[in-house]
Amino acid sequence: MKLSTRHLLGIKDLTKEDISLILSTAEQFKEVLQRPVKKVPSLRDVTIVNLFYENSTRTRMSFELAERRLSADTLNFTASSSSAAKGETLLDTVNNILSMKVDMVVMRHSASGAPHFLSKHIPAAIINAGDGINEHPTQALLDAFSMREKTGRLEGLKVAIIGDIMHSRVALSNIYLLGKMGAEVTVAGPPTLIPKYISESFGIRVEYNVKKALQWCDVANVLRIQLERQNQPLFSSLREYNIAYGINRRLLESLGKEIVIMHPGPINRGVELDSDVADGPFSIILNQVENGVAVRMAALYLLANRGN
Amino acid sequence: MNILLRKVLIAYPGSVFNNSVKDILVSGGVIKSIDDAVDAQDADVIDIPGLVVSPGWVDIFSHFADPGLEYRETLETGAAAAAAGGFTTVFAIPNTAPAIQSKTQAEYVVQKSKSLPVNIYPLGAVTKNLEGKELAEMYDMHASGAVAFSDGTQPVQSAGLLLKALQYVKAFDGVVVQVPMDKSIGQYGLINEGVVSTRLGLPGIPAMAEELIVARDIKLARYAESKIHFTGVSTAKSMEYIKRAKDAGLQVTCSVTPYHLYFCDEDMVSYDTNLKVTPPLRSKADREALKDAVLNGWVDCVASHHIPHNWDSKVCEFEYAKHGMIGLQTAYAVLQTAIPQLNAAQVVNLLCTNASKIFNLPTPGFAEGEAAALTLFNPAGQTRLTKENNKSKSANSPFFDQTLTGEVVGIINRNGLYRN
Repeated sequence: MKLSTRHLLGIKDLTKEDISLILSTAEQFKEVLQRPVKKVPSLRDVTIVNLFYENSTRTRMSFELAERRLSADTLNFTASSSSAAKGETLLDTVNNILSMKVDMVVMRHSASGAPHFLSKHIPAAIINAGDGINEHPTQALLDAFSMREKTGRLEGLKVAIIGDIMHSRVALSNIYLLGKMGAEVTVAGPPTLIPKYISESFGIRVEYNVKKALQWCDVANVLRIQLERQNQPLFSSLREYNIAYGINRRLLESLGKEIVIMHPGPINRGVELDSDVADGPFSIILNQVENGVAVRMAALYLLANRGN
Repeated sequence: MNILLRKVLIAYPGSVFNNSVKDILVSGGVIKSIDDAVDAQDADVIDIPGLVVSPGWVDIFSHFADPGLEYRETLETGAAAAAAGGFTTVFAIPNTAPAIQSKTQAEYVVQKSKSLPVNIYPLGAVTKNLEGKELAEMYDMHASGAVAFSDGTQPVQSAGLLLKALQYVKAFDGVVVQVPMDKSIGQYGLINEGVVSTRLGLPGIPAMAEELIVARDIKLARYAESKIHFTGVSTAKSMEYIKRAKDAGLQVTCSVTPYHLYFCDEDMVSYDTNLKVTPPLRSKADREALKDAVLNGWVDCVASHHIPHNWDSKVCEFEYAKHGMIGLQTAYAVLQTAIPQLNAAQVVNLLCTNASKIFNLPTPGFAEGEAAALTLFNPAGQTRLTKENNKSKSANSPFFDQTLTGEVVGIINRNGLYRN
């Protein structure tokens, strides 16, 4: 089987079958990662550049590891220590790299639509590793993989996405993916951090009371407060955010039921999640990180046209 | 130079010849005769079935980027694009470097354009350096040829300052031109806020950011008993406010751009940077309301909002792309294509007569002995903007290689025939 798209720019462009294919391929790679030799030769003739125009730890390492475990050659680029800092344009940088015979581009960029722009100008396959406040498709795929692994299903699953919805590409990709796979979504957080048209755009629920959202859901995907992406004050203080929207052990215990806690990282401990929740028994945060490698291997493998 | 127009339909509201088909002889830049059959030897004969002649068109909001930003446009290339678009008069916005904010800069534009095919009038800055802090020398600029006043693409934000400007220009019956935009709302927005922006993950600019300024500035104009002209009006509500102000007898007028009548935010799904404009492309419902407003006569003018940008300001990430598109050459065809039922008289009012009245332009009459400033167009013709026929120095237009309805054949102005 093959994906219906040449690039992975966003979940928006994927079909339900594409998503299922990536998730089932990821299962196979997860099995590979349990072996003593965690490596397959699938992409040994492929060169991949990781272009990071924005800081990243988890995603960059996860992609790099996924590429190496598929035996691809990898090249790393970080904007702050490169020609981009000298004012070279994105298109020039990428064309220069591609002229060195690179086959695939993994890109993170602070501008929404940057990988879409690139896809109109270069022949290489592109994987979006996060663009502005738009999408972060591999994160949504690994979130879905982890949810399904933990609860056994996606269809009919009730997922609350909590926190800074407005500045979160994780939220948007999750909303697209969960909608396509038949899960139900509620977004919750302060009204200043929830886009006005989100309900109308996706047919999802909006809740300003975190406790109510938690009572409703099976899974809570708690987002990071994107302080670096807020150009103007959208809530009064981190302290007040924690009081009103933060999730702590006491709140979870008051629900009278067990829910799964997820977070895409990096966590602002004591802001959106207290440590006793992040490290607690309901948290699958580290499983998400582990699954990330398998999911990214699947995406790379399928986009390199190695599916059969 | 003798030019003979054979069997042309005259669309000249207010003239006795309006709606009649005549031969017209122009000689030495002057209309020599208008008659059923005119004969002239050694004249350039233009004989095109369906050809319409009207008074020369006026564009009230174009960026010629000269002085200072000549890599984007110059008065020469801008004038060539205007002539090809059927315009004999263009108002150049003051967003140059330095801004058109004193007598010297106003005179530069006026003097330099004297040898060009179209008349270029500067829109003088309302505030010094377009900073929105102190009034610029509008009286002096007016005396030096500034036709009206505007901070162009950086509209005045302070209500107090705009009120002073509106009062100040009354001394010489001036008009303030405002692109309605409250920059504190949707400050970081990139496209219209709505379902489309949410789905594309782009920060939005609410329609309200425009409507607040329209409502506010109408109140200011009422208080000052002065003239304000809104240009680039993009939302249904803004139009509603403007219509109400007109009904109340206020001196409020407005323009829309051709592209707001043609596109809407749903056209942005591929992150086309040429569609990144200010005010942004709004919803389909807004676009339809604007078209109705044009047909109902609530819109006074169609303004090209010709904003040239060099290649790398548009071939880049959407967020970093600059706002605006070029539009002089395609203005008429886009308008005619967006609203096919517009008749020649309506087109001429939108592109010429209304602007002449609002801005007190010295428009010549249409009679034998008058100077010829004419636009020749063919509503049944077609326009196709290509790399080869584009006259602007920039190429930031979504209309390249599109076939549009309506064709500008040329202009006659300043003793010259400029034919496409």
